Amino acid sequence: MASQTDFRDRQFLAVIGDEDSVTGLLLAGIGHVTPPPDNQKNFLVVDNKTDTAAIEAAFERYTTERKDIGIVLINQHIADKIRHRVDTYTQAFPTVLEIPSKDHPYDPEKDSVLRRVRRLFGE
Amino acid sequence: MSSQPPPPDVDADPNPTETISRLLQHYLALLDEYTALRSTLNTLQTRVFQSLARANFAAERGVRRYGQDYYDERMQASRRVGISFSSTAEGGEWEEEDGVGGGPVFTFRVCPASGPKAGPSSGGDKDDREETGSEGGRGPTSIDDAKDLSGSEETKLESTEDDGRGNETKKQPLLPDDLPADDADHKQSSSSSSRKKAADPLRWFGILTPLPLRQAQGHAIQAVEDVIPRLATLSVEMGLVELEVRRARKRRAKAEKAEERKKLAELENWMDKVDVGA
Repeated sequence: MASQTDFRDRQFLAVIGDEDSVTGLLLAGIGHVTPPPDNQKNFLVVDNKTDTAAIEAAFERYTTERKDIGIVLINQHIADKIRHRVDTYTQAFPTVLEIPSKDHPYDPEKDSVLRRVRRLFGE
Repeated sequence: MSSQPPPPDVDADPNPTETISRLLQHYLALLDEYTALRSTLNTLQTRVFQSLARANFAAERGVRRYGQDYYDERMQASRRVGISFSSTAEGGEWEEEDGVGGGPVFTFRVCPASGPKAGPSSGGDKDDREETGSEGGRGPTSIDDAKDLSGSEETKLESTEDDGRGNETKKQPLLPDDLPADDADHKQSSSSSSRKKAADPLRWFGILTPLPLRQAQGHAIQAVEDVIPRLATLSVEMGLVELEVRRARKRRAKAEKAEERKKLAELENWMDKVDVGA
C-alpha cells in the first residue's frame, strides 16, 4: 500500500503519444516543463522515427524516476511496443492508462487493465 | 455507481466462498463502469482528433500544422492531478466519498491549478511552483480542496473567458464558502485570470485561433477532467479488489486443506479404534 507521501506530490499527468494525442492533451493544460537546467517535459511525442528505447526510457522516467507524476497516459499502439514493460508494471502510483490514437482505435484485448481482469478469472 | 455492493470484509467473514462472490460482484460493477468510461473516452478522443484535423485543414497560410512546432517550451501545467486517500474503516466497511457508493480507497481528480501554494516539492521544479503560486502551485490533495478549487476556478472562467468547452462545461453550483473573502481577493483573482488567459495553451497557436481548435480543447478538457481521473481511480481500485480476491482464494484453499487433514486424522483415529477392537 502506498504511503501518503508517495502520492501527495504527484500532481502532473504525463503523456507518451503521437503528435495529435499529445497536442490534444496539452491543449487541456496538462503540459509542464520544469525550469532550467533540467527542462524536463512531462510528454513525449512519438513518431515513426522514435526508437523503442526512447519510449522505454520515457516510460521508466515517468513511472519510476519522477515522483511528481500521478497518471501516465500512453497511446495503446505505443504501449504495444513496450508491452512487456507496461504489463509488468504493477505500482498504483503513477497509474498507467492506455488511450486510443487517431490511427489506432482502442482494442480492449490489449488493454492492460482488462488483461488483469482475464487473469483474475483464470483465462 | 451507487448501486455497487460494498466490498466485504475478508477477515471477519466465516464463509470465504461467499466473500469471494461478493468481492467479484463488486469487481464486476467496477469493470462495468470502467468499460462505459472507456467508451466515453474513445468518443471524446475521436472528437479531439476530428477537431484537430478540421483545424489543420482550414489552417491559414503559413501554419503548417497545429502540433509540436508551436508548443511553448516554458509551458506550465494549468490542470493538475489531486489524489485523495480515504482509509478503510474498522470492520472493513469502506468509506463513502463524494457520493460514490462503496467509495474507492484512492481517488484521482484533475482540476485547474489554483489556490495558495503549499506542500513539499519532490521534483526539481520547486522554484517554478513558487513562481506560479498565485495562480496555483499544486493540485488539491483532498476531495474538499478539489471541490473548492474547481468551484472557484470555474467561476473565474465563467466571468472572464470561454476556455473552449462551450456548453459542455459542467458548472458547479457556487457555494458561499467558495466566494472570495474581500476585495483584495477579488483583485488577486482578476489578475490571476488575466495570467491564466496568457497561459492558455491556445495562445501558443496564435491570437486568433480557429474554432475547431477551441472545440478540440473543450473535448480534451472534458476527457482530462471527467473521464481520465475516474478511469485511474477505477484502475487502482480494481487492483486492490484483485488483491483481496487472491488473498480470499488463498485463505479458502488453506481452509479446505485444513478441513481435509482434519477429516483424514479423524478417519485414521477411527481405523485405529477398529483395529484395537478387532
